[in-house]
Amino acid sequence: MKQTMGHSIAWNVISRIPSEDLKDRASGAHNEWREMSKKKFDRREFLKAMGVSGVAVTVAGCDMPSFIASQEGVEEVVSYLSPEEFVIPGVGVWYASVCMQCPAGCGVRGRIREGRLLKLEGNPESSLNAGKLCQMGQAGLQNHYDPDRVTTPLARKGGKLAEVTWEQALTMIEEKTGAGSSIPKNRFAWFTGTVSGHQGVLMKSHLEAMGSTAHFVHETINNQVWRTVSKDMLGLETPRLRFDKAKLVLSFGADFLGTWMSPIHFSGQYARFRSTPDRGMLIQAEPSMTLTGANADMWLAVRPETEGAMALGIANILIKKEKVDASALPESVLDAIDGYDVTTTSRITGIAGDRLIRIVRHLKDLSPSLIVAGASACGHVNGYQSAAAAMLLNFLLGNIGKTIEPGENFSFPQLRPAEGGTRDLARFAKAAGEQQFDAVFFYGANPLFAAPAHMNMAEKLDAIPFKAAFSQFMDETTARADLVLPVASPMEDWGTHVPAYQGDRNAIVFQQPLMEPLYPGVRGLGDLLLGLVKMRNPGPLDDFEDYYAYLQNAFAAIPGALKGEGGDEDAPFDKNLWNRVLQNGHLEVPGAKRSFDTKVFAPDVAGHRENADYPYYLAPTPRAGFYDGRHANLSWLQEAPDQITKIVWNSWAEINPSTAAKLGVEQGDIVKITAAGGSIEATAYLHKGVHPDVVVVPMGQGHEEYGRYATGIGVNPLKILDPLSDGKTGEMALYGTRVKLARTGRSKKLVKAGDAETQHGRKIVATITADHLRRTEGES
Amino acid sequence: MVLAVIVVFAVFGAAGTSFADEIMSTGKKSEPSAWSKWLERPPGPFPGVILPDEPYDGKVVEQPIDFPHDVHAGANQINCLYCHTYARRSAVAGIPPTSKCMGCHNIIATDRPRIKKLTEYWEKGESPPWKKVHDLPDYVRFTHELHLKRFLFDNPEMSVERSDEVCALCHGEVKKMTVARKQKTLTMGFCTRCHEANDGPFDCMECHK
Repeated sequence: MKQTMGHSIAWNVISRIPSEDLKDRASGAHNEWREMSKKKFDRREFLKAMGVSGVAVTVAGCDMPSFIASQEGVEEVVSYLSPEEFVIPGVGVWYASVCMQCPAGCGVRGRIREGRLLKLEGNPESSLNAGKLCQMGQAGLQNHYDPDRVTTPLARKGGKLAEVTWEQALTMIEEKTGAGSSIPKNRFAWFTGTVSGHQGVLMKSHLEAMGSTAHFVHETINNQVWRTVSKDMLGLETPRLRFDKAKLVLSFGADFLGTWMSPIHFSGQYARFRSTPDRGMLIQAEPSMTLTGANADMWLAVRPETEGAMALGIANILIKKEKVDASALPESVLDAIDGYDVTTTSRITGIAGDRLIRIVRHLKDLSPSLIVAGASACGHVNGYQSAAAAMLLNFLLGNIGKTIEPGENFSFPQLRPAEGGTRDLARFAKAAGEQQFDAVFFYGANPLFAAPAHMNMAEKLDAIPFKAAFSQFMDETTARADLVLPVASPMEDWGTHVPAYQGDRNAIVFQQPLMEPLYPGVRGLGDLLLGLVKMRNPGPLDDFEDYYAYLQNAFAAIPGALKGEGGDEDAPFDKNLWNRVLQNGHLEVPGAKRSFDTKVFAPDVAGHRENADYPYYLAPTPRAGFYDGRHANLSWLQEAPDQITKIVWNSWAEINPSTAAKLGVEQGDIVKITAAGGSIEATAYLHKGVHPDVVVVPMGQGHEEYGRYATGIGVNPLKILDPLSDGKTGEMALYGTRVKLARTGRSKKLVKAGDAETQHGRKIVATITADHLRRTEGES
Repeated sequence: MVLAVIVVFAVFGAAGTSFADEIMSTGKKSEPSAWSKWLERPPGPFPGVILPDEPYDGKVVEQPIDFPHDVHAGANQINCLYCHTYARRSAVAGIPPTSKCMGCHNIIATDRPRIKKLTEYWEKGESPPWKKVHDLPDYVRFTHELHLKRFLFDNPEMSVERSDEVCALCHGEVKKMTVARKQKTLTMGFCTRCHEANDGPFDCMECHK
């Protein structure tokens, strides 16, 4: 650990105000007000009082020393001991690192002053996010300074978590899982979020040392269905998507500006897509409006589960009406398409026939286009088939190779992220239910929050004899663990990361501590993993005193050619190269060009399921903010208005006004949303960006245990999900749950920014009616 | 009571008018105003600058080590900027790093009690926890760098050797003190009168940003 600050972040000069002093100084002015507020003031008395003190202020004016300004000898100002030459108090220095607020892996730069991290921005050198950073990334700062961080190891004693020393904690781990323990092979598992780079390598080593292969990787927000389709039809899981090369983007619920895959990277492409002379056209078909949908030129409320049918219908019109050459498609595919003529498609999807024809005409005119499918299309029992139907359109329109490129091979497969989805959550629930494990370690995932009630996750967790949570915060899962190990924040730790979806150039992103750990009781993940491997399998890694040394050694092993100018394969660790990479924040690793291995098959999109008891679909949409719920503890993101409804600090239920009228629900009424597996209550927010068959309750709120800002706020829609999954990939059908709605008779005013739905006749934003636009723009 | 308020308002209201006019008339200082006495004052002993000469008797702040400014800056005539080297580069002047103290006191006066105490800190790997003497509220953005530029480096009548005279404008005669003591009010009035007299920027946002 001693070496971890080896790259010289000087640290000191702290301004500290003892809290008693603050109290003393504030008391003068404060007492006066308190005395005043005790009396009952009428307006006249109040004005009189203000008159007198107002004059006092006028007399003194700018020369009245405020009690703050005149303080002498109150704050401490501790100098640097022996700073680097470039360190100047009061002047910030920017260091590169990685953002770990979502799995996208954007590069960041943090401004450090007097040893403190003050601000995060995107790293301009990164080809993934090119200097940009989303609101979740910006809030990484709050994640670091969060007052509810776990600061010491905790162990369960008599049913309660109590503080223990690191020595005691590691002894516990050693007893339960160490080399001398009696834990049988395959009775151990890791349950994590996305882990990549050398942390991933060490985690794998640890699993090997444990004799287990059970690594569950859980991400509620993932692209597994789309990736599987890409793999099956194109031969590559992550082909490069080029929104910037497309003239038209048709997205089936892919919120690529908000939460889908690599939103900041795609936002950059989107900006170029929109700023070409012809200005690219964006059509979004989804049952509930996302941030991307709100930006679309044409937004279509497609009936849930029928996105695949819509794609096939479009293919049908392309072939039949627009005579697009489909000779390359196999007969079975053409047969499948044949069944979806305009009338049928319109009936199934609820999209008017003339609109379908108009979309097709645009697709024909604006080539190349790009068709993608995201969460709301993939989150059904037929999710894979719908995504395959969308990909089929790319084949038919000749987009493969134009807006979908094969990209480059990543040269270090062992560093690639262990990626996951919701399938692993279900698999874990099953395995834990069968009591397959004696010990499970958790990191970067919160299965108890994400698991629907039907999984009985709490009981299953309790049945695991030994659970250790490597955690920064006390979340639901951590609170149930037998041992809690506080990990360093991403801003205090070393690491390497490999984004699942790479930017324009393949890169390994380097994470370096931007400041000393805020709490001496936390340990870096890499250090802990290294310790675990050594504990179980002494020998091979004993030479490395800490993870920093391990990383440097791994860096030395990277072929010289990849390290760029001056790189020498045979040279041992080169400090200059290392520093250059840390300065850039990443190491670009060019790889061989990949190629497609295409295979087209007929998707079986069988749509919409009628359900008289539960007529509505529940859409637990992700939003760039709380994400899957991991950011609900950040007050900045609680305070940031939702992108669609502008609501803050709460949960709500988005309902179409026509549905609401049918149910007699008005804006602000509390509705009860009942699924087969339970019910939740939320305040109704009526707007037209929701299909009439759908009720939206965004995911992320409803934490039972997650610090002072998240606990007890809103509801968690994931709890009442039906036990459904995509037939092909096994991913949970997040959007497939059927619910019924009922009034509760109560209502509540939702707090939201602006709080006005109209412009009151002022042209703050210029608007034009759709009818007028169609006439003037010459559309029919 | 109400009458008193009105009377007071009448008196100050009148003065307030000319003050407002002065502020609003962008840069033109034709009419005598409440501020004009500062402009009419004969230049002080300091070349090229009109001084806000407002003494303040600050309290003696107890420091971990009684640092003798009088010995360093006074008797030995060490330039202020030698130790407070950040003043010309940053918003804050900064306390010199302990390594700077030890640069000399490895050898000089090592037998004195204060130096022994300093050496103790150094050997523990700590800096003395100095107390702030000159402190502005957080809503004020004061920069040493620009003030030194204006009054010292860009001032043809000054030379770097005389930096102590510039520092003394706001910090008083530090070279006659042991530990620093506040000798100027450093209120907003103090700042604005100097800004007015020396054509400093007068926009609110210049300092309150």
